[in-house]
Amino acid sequence: MKYIGELTKGIIKDNPIFVLVLGICPTLAVSTSVDNAIGMGFAATFVLVCSNIIISLIKGFTPPKVRIPVYIVVIASFVSIVDMAMAAYIPDLHKNLGLFIPLIVVNCIILGRAEAFASKNNLLNSLADGIGMGLGFTLALVIIATIRETMGAGTWFGIPIIPASYKFQPVLVAILAPGAFITLGFLMALVNLIKERK
Amino acid sequence: MMYYLKLGAILFLICAIAAGVLAYVNGITAPRIKLLQEQKETSSRAELIPDAEFELTRGTVDSSFVYYRALDNQTKALKGYTLIAEQSGYSSVIKTMVGVDPLFNIIAIRVIDQKETPGLGANCTAASFAQMFQGRSLNSLVLDKDGGEISSMAGATITTRAINSSIRIALSKLKAEIQAEEGGGQ
Repeated sequence: MKYIGELTKGIIKDNPIFVLVLGICPTLAVSTSVDNAIGMGFAATFVLVCSNIIISLIKGFTPPKVRIPVYIVVIASFVSIVDMAMAAYIPDLHKNLGLFIPLIVVNCIILGRAEAFASKNNLLNSLADGIGMGLGFTLALVIIATIRETMGAGTWFGIPIIPASYKFQPVLVAILAPGAFITLGFLMALVNLIKERK
Repeated sequence: MMYYLKLGAILFLICAIAAGVLAYVNGITAPRIKLLQEQKETSSRAELIPDAEFELTRGTVDSSFVYYRALDNQTKALKGYTLIAEQSGYSSVIKTMVGVDPLFNIIAIRVIDQKETPGLGANCTAASFAQMFQGRSLNSLVLDKDGGEISSMAGATITTRAINSSIRIALSKLKAEIQAEEGGGQ
């Protein structure tokens, strides 16, 4: 029962982006289109799950004084593995995400969960936490990207959603950096409002 | 004292394991990545100048400058040259493969590597962007903002300018190389 709680908390209640406000840098950078958001979300989820597992396994062995360098070595190794494996086996996705993969190293969701959760909990709970947080991150990215892509480019997942005859002028600012801040601000306000109402 | 040595030893052990795993993964993936890169360049070359054989050539003036001579499959006559132009754009180094005829007029271009802003600068990989460069010579590679005919992409003037100027520089280098070679041969 507890595993399910650890799994679902990351999706809404403790959503890493909207509630914990972790990993904002990659969020702003990749939420320009839905396919980038999904690719980044899953790559980060993979790294998060792997690093949570390893860090939970070595928690008895890691001296507290050097835990941060140890976490960073573990995370950076998984990121490099993902980067190399993607470049070799799924080059098309790597072409789009190549720039963002190294960003996962500095994604504070991963270090944050290693420090706050995986280093204090057992393997199964850490695994559930990693999956839940990863899905929550992916979900938040997709929501932001949906808003930005439809407004800024008039497409969703690369598919035009507004007929060309409509003479729709995309709101360019939605795709630029300020658009990311504005969208994120409105969404956070909305999540806070919902939480207050409850 | 012992305590600190132990800390160092544990950190060293973890880093050594990580390095070993990474070296192993790199050993598996590196040849594949290189192969894919070469395949991509070969197929781009074939698209720029079809029905030709390519011959790697090094510059005589500047030996770090590399280009390919395109020779017709049947007649072996010179069809043109392909070369890679690269320059920093807005957020990445943009690599463009350029195919030119023997008189240095552009046959076609293709952006082969870039990490520009998705939705803005990244649109430089679109066919409509590449088409603007077709048939241009060194003198007509000028942006609309500088009084030329190449229209810069919306919100991505820096990217457009970088691609345009990288092609200009690469073409002038190629021209200098070919002229030096012909001059030397006479």
